[in-house]
Amino acid sequence: MDLLNYLGIGFSVALRPENLLYCFVGVFIGTLIGVLPGIGPVGAMSLLLPSTFKATPEAAIIMLAGIYYGAMYGGSTTSILVNIPGEAASVVTCLDGYKMARQGRAGPALGIAAFGSFIAGTISVLGLMLLAPPLARFALEFGPPEYFTLMMLGLTILIYLAHGSMPKALIMAAFGIVLGLIGLDTMTARPRFTFGRMELLDGVGLVPIVMGIFGVSEVLLNIEQVVRRDVLKTTIKGLLPTARDWKDSTGPIARGSLLGFLLGVLPGGGAVISSFLSYALEKKLSKHPERFGKGAVEGVAGPEAANNAATGGAFIPLMTLGIPPNVIMAMLLGAFMIHGVTPGPLMMKQNPHLFWGVIVSMYIGNFMLLILNLPLIGIWVQILKVPYKILFPLILLFCLIGVYSVNNSVFDIYVMLIFGIVGYLMKKFDYEGAPLVLAFVLGPMMENNLRKSLITSQGDFSIFFTRPLAAVSLVIAVILLISPLIPWLRKKREEIPKEEAS
Amino acid sequence: MRSRDIISSLFWAVMGIGICWGGYELELGNLHDPGGGFMFFWVGVIMVGLSCGILARAIRQTATAGEMKAVWAGISWKKIVSVLAVLFIYAYLLTPLGFIPATILLLIFLFKAVEPQRWSWAILGAVVSTLAAYGVFRLWLQCQLPPGLLGS
Repeated sequence: MDLLNYLGIGFSVALRPENLLYCFVGVFIGTLIGVLPGIGPVGAMSLLLPSTFKATPEAAIIMLAGIYYGAMYGGSTTSILVNIPGEAASVVTCLDGYKMARQGRAGPALGIAAFGSFIAGTISVLGLMLLAPPLARFALEFGPPEYFTLMMLGLTILIYLAHGSMPKALIMAAFGIVLGLIGLDTMTARPRFTFGRMELLDGVGLVPIVMGIFGVSEVLLNIEQVVRRDVLKTTIKGLLPTARDWKDSTGPIARGSLLGFLLGVLPGGGAVISSFLSYALEKKLSKHPERFGKGAVEGVAGPEAANNAATGGAFIPLMTLGIPPNVIMAMLLGAFMIHGVTPGPLMMKQNPHLFWGVIVSMYIGNFMLLILNLPLIGIWVQILKVPYKILFPLILLFCLIGVYSVNNSVFDIYVMLIFGIVGYLMKKFDYEGAPLVLAFVLGPMMENNLRKSLITSQGDFSIFFTRPLAAVSLVIAVILLISPLIPWLRKKREEIPKEEAS
Repeated sequence: MRSRDIISSLFWAVMGIGICWGGYELELGNLHDPGGGFMFFWVGVIMVGLSCGILARAIRQTATAGEMKAVWAGISWKKIVSVLAVLFIYAYLLTPLGFIPATILLLIFLFKAVEPQRWSWAILGAVVSTLAAYGVFRLWLQCQLPPGLLGS
């Protein structure tokens, strides 16, 4: 009964005209950036964050969430039509999606991707709705040691899953923590690493860092060499999959949804890993594995369902524990904070309108995406044809406006440009941006909880080992950290598909 | 990989030492009551340790001839440096010139920077994009943008 009441609250919030508009704008932009290689959901969310300042917290989060799951829908379009994934999570869709398009079946490929995404998105929202309340109640018993170790575990998993060398990912995380701690000490109000600059007293902004690393550096990488994108010249017809396609895809969509949702809850690149695992699983279960890679519809349906279901799962740690499991959720945490809302176990009680409004808006957003991605597919195909020489000045313009309007500060533009250069060099030297950004967001919370834990225990580190959840989290984190030293664990890590920087 | 890792690990080692020093200056406190520099110091120590690890591994690897050259090969430095320089100049001129004039100038340059286009197209594209951005962000979303020469 409670659940129905809460759903009622959610619908009353999500169906307000203003929120419907923000939801539509979110999923529209999400699809757009999913379609356009060069700017990912993180960049787009930071870019649009300032535009939500005048909106209510509900509208702001509804729109930003829409960008996230909308990007997963849009990412499949480029994979199928151009053989270039719009998102890392759509890499695997290229394998069979593009082959289907070459065989004249672009329509059913796009259709099953959209339907699969819709079904998986809806299932994951249901999972989120059912799982979040009990987890939030459980989280009320957590103290600073649990929070510190959980954040450490989250960060460690992201580092473990990072692309390339683990020590490099660790250095990035350490650097992110340092950047996150710049500004006034929350306990003593003493300035730290501000170098006498007033602008740094409040710390370095999340938006300039994210825009620099994920926006400006991407542009620099794209203009250094000309990238050709040849849109497959094919007529897209018959978007509705055939009965045979449905028969082949029902199982993969169901399995992909479940797998995606469960992996999405875990920190790290849930959407990416789940799409690869779903592909591997379907190939293994198939009676005709030889069809995979040659235009098998299951190879599109399963991974697309998995990456969309993962987006719903990723909301669980953020909304119930206040711990972002990936960079995109870290961005969303920043948005929550800017709007004066602290996500965590109390959010459901203190802000039921926001919590349930966002969840219900995801149902509605999924419907909107279905319409955007099926009847309106032609628009996205046209957008794919916009040349980069026109696109990149506009991306830079939006980055500049987005960064400036957060604090009306030119200083933030300089910070973004510096991090643009840093991000560019990071890519050249094989360092990844995701651990830096997540550590940047988690750093201050980790420090706060570490100091509180040590003050409570009077300097006794055993507080982290005597509390079961803290101990388990710490042990797993340590195992993951030392994994490169253990050959079979190192091999396992190398086999996992990795999330690229964006 | 070798040269890149040597260069980057040395950079991070120096950075880590600086962070340790900064943390130490900020006051470490003690385990009963960690000070403001506690986390900085230990994170700095970890950075130095990791950098040394990367450096040691890189030194053990055999050098590949022309490795650094390969990383930077085929890159159009002129484009990258000029785009960055213009963005810094834009940031510097944004307040005195104002959003509209500064952005039009920036976009004209950017539209011509990567693949040269006709002047008429670049100017028209820059003006239309700037006015559209102004309409959306300033007039509709009411974001503050510097007025500069054009007043309010």
